[in-house]
Amino acid sequence: MKILVCLKQVPHQDARLDIDGAGTWIKEDGIKFEINSYDTFALEEALRIKDAGEAEVVVVSIGPDRVTQALRTALGMGADRAIHVKDAEIDGSDTLGIAKVLAAVAKEESPDLVLMGLMSDDGNASAVPPMMAELMGVPSATAVMKATPEGDGYRCERELEGGALEVVDLAKPCLIAVQSGLNQVRYASLKGIMAAKKKPMDTKSAGDLGLSGVVGAAGAKAQIEKIYAPVRGEGAEIIEGSTDEVVTQLVGKIKELGLL
Amino acid sequence: MIEWSEQHEMIRDAVRRFIEEEIVPNLEELEHGDLPPYEILRKMYATFGMDEMARGRFERQIAKAEAGDAKEKKAREGDGTGDGAAMQLIPIIELCRYCPGMVTALGVSVGLTGAAIMSKGSVEQKKRWGLDVLTLTKIGAWAITEPGSGSDAFGGMKASARREGDEFVLNGSKTFITNGPFADTIVFICKLEEEGVDSRDRKILNFVLDRGMKGLDQGKPLRKMGLHSSPTGELFVNDLRCSIDHLLGGEDALNKSHGAGREGAKDTFQTERSGVAAMALGIVSRCLELSVAYSRERVQWEKPIGEYQLIQEKLARMEVARMNLQNLVFRTIELSAHGKSMGLAEASAMKLYAARAAVEVAMEAVQVFGGNGYMAEYHVEQLARDAKVLQIYAGTDEIQIRAIARDLLTG
Ligand SMILES: Cc1cc2nc3c(=O)[nH]c(=O)nc-3n(C[C@H](O)[C@H](O)[C@H](O)COP(=O)(O)OP(=O)(O)OC[C@H]3O[C@@H](n4cnc5c(N)ncnc54)[C@H](O)[C@@H]3O)c2cc1C
Ligand SMILES: Cc1cc2nc3c(=O)[nH]c(=O)nc-3n(C[C@H](O)[C@H](O)[C@H](O)COP(=O)(O)OP(=O)(O)OC[C@H]3O[C@@H](n4cnc5c(N)ncnc54)[C@H](O)[C@@H]3O)c2cc1C
Repeated sequence: MKILVCLKQVPHQDARLDIDGAGTWIKEDGIKFEINSYDTFALEEALRIKDAGEAEVVVVSIGPDRVTQALRTALGMGADRAIHVKDAEIDGSDTLGIAKVLAAVAKEESPDLVLMGLMSDDGNASAVPPMMAELMGVPSATAVMKATPEGDGYRCERELEGGALEVVDLAKPCLIAVQSGLNQVRYASLKGIMAAKKKPMDTKSAGDLGLSGVVGAAGAKAQIEKIYAPVRGEGAEIIEGSTDEVVTQLVGKIKELGLL
Repeated sequence: MIEWSEQHEMIRDAVRRFIEEEIVPNLEELEHGDLPPYEILRKMYATFGMDEMARGRFERQIAKAEAGDAKEKKAREGDGTGDGAAMQLIPIIELCRYCPGMVTALGVSVGLTGAAIMSKGSVEQKKRWGLDVLTLTKIGAWAITEPGSGSDAFGGMKASARREGDEFVLNGSKTFITNGPFADTIVFICKLEEEGVDSRDRKILNFVLDRGMKGLDQGKPLRKMGLHSSPTGELFVNDLRCSIDHLLGGEDALNKSHGAGREGAKDTFQTERSGVAAMALGIVSRCLELSVAYSRERVQWEKPIGEYQLIQEKLARMEVARMNLQNLVFRTIELSAHGKSMGLAEASAMKLYAARAAVEVAMEAVQVFGGNGYMAEYHVEQLARDAKVLQIYAGTDEIQIRAIARDLLTG
């Protein structure tokens, strides 16, 4: 059994985010990064499968040198091997470009199961997992809250709106994109962190994956036009007076809007 | 060593996450309530495999001792990387950002009590008491200070051991003992009653006492200025009878020269003192971080207070202290990479600087926060109260100064 876990490194949740000069992304220098929170749950799910039986857990991440830290953290937590896809040519890829790179890695690795997060904390697109599954030609499920082995695949419970759950069966090989909170993510032990130094980490370029000229800004169908903070609107009305007056006026407003 | 490595940063991030998830939600109870720190510390040990690492180190040390390796202690070779030291110091730094008391409780149990048993005990004694203390299965206390003897710990010490046949009869009162109220395993330091020898010159002996022994009374936690997450208390020993098994080193300890016990304790002072720089670094970096954030957002006279030079001067001084402390910690790690440790005078200088820097920075952080700084919610007041103890325990500032000056004047 081989499991491929796709990890994205995103700005730390406490990082101060400033928009860059071009107005299309944030300033990355000097800020801290961490593994996308959704992906940590995917990694934990993979490690649990490994703990329960025989499995090799391979982690892959695309990005500049800093990404090795995310991969080393995953190795420290118990992953066996890491693949770092590093190529300036991939910069500026849209979600399809990223899905192509990951699908190419999956083609080389031919895992029985691909685990990843439902979305990324920074991009929020939720597009890469289904695109990747399509490119690989394997079944997939998103927003998975629970995955249990069933026959020759996995039975997945997907989270729907309003608290409902949907049950789908996926035959292996398959791709599961997990919702956050489906497990309690473990810590890397100190020994694990020190041992991570010695675990293998391969570096690959777009060319190595046969994707030269296909990915990156040139091949992107979607481009970020700009990033900006929403402008403050004018609609707010501040009610002033004693507590009694404020409450009476507020209730009046709510009734006026027909909400009560 | 000039900077933290990628592994070090990973350890820091993992420990920080643990602290945010397990300690921060309990901070109110730990610092303003009565929650003892031990269960959380044990959870930290288990989570990061620190208990297993301690067990591994213990087994290697015992195997060496049983193989009759006489150079057991001297053969301290560096690991070339200092990673071992870094792995111990990083959790200290991180814990001190929130809870310096937890580090004290942990350090006294593992670092002082565990280390005393491991350096002075026989193989049997190490197995009987050392392992459980090193893995935090049992909580240790190390008792030297008495109501009448603190800085002059040995000279004024009244606690005594009288030999009666195969037994010893112990008496004495100890105070300010970290973990005293809850400890399972206590190293009780006292003087051998010897006819015709002046009290100042008597042999120093270390006994291991178990919780519940007849004649041992462990007082309740004392109320104190800060460090509330580290219980501190008194111990009363009244005609406690024990066999020689409880004397660390057994007959050998009785046959050693009169000065030996004092020299051994000095090794302990040296380790204690170098840990203080890491503690101060945690306090200072947290205070600085909070102060910078507050200086950006707090507006008075239509400007963030960070734009006023008087505030800038405080922030700059905090940063200078942080850089100095970090370099001292790097030096400690680098020395350990080469199998070396600091001399007593250097460790004293480091402790003096670190303690003073922590107190100054934490008090200035309170100042930057104005009225909010004085309120518990903003956390800096706790760090300021906690920092003060660094100038008192492990040797007061004045005693460090004395050690540095003596070294200069006699060297
Ligand atoms: C929170 C806390 C935890 C502690 N934990 C432990 C523990 O686990 N085990 C333990 O054994 N002890 C512990 N101690 C005790 C600690 O080590 C002593 O408080 C410390 O050594 C100082 O001794 P003292 O309190 O008796 O002060 P004193 O020695 O009475 O000193 C009073 C003042 O006189 C100064 N002074 C003393 N002698 C000289 C001199 N020759 N020249 C100039 N100035 C001098 C001191 O610097 C100080 O300012 C703890 C203390 C605290 C506060
Ligand atoms: C225990 C307590 C009791 C109190 N009781 C009362 C009370 O009964 N009634 C009442 O009205 N108030 C009371 N206060 C409030 C107290 O007067 C204010 O806390 C104090 O004036 C400081 O204001 P601040 O807390 O808003 O700090 P800030 O004004 O925000 O100051 C924050 C920091 O910025 C510095 N700073 C601000 N402006 C400048 C500048 N231009 N240049 C350089 N540095 C600057 C300050 O010196 C401080 O270090 C009390 C406060 C406390 C702690």
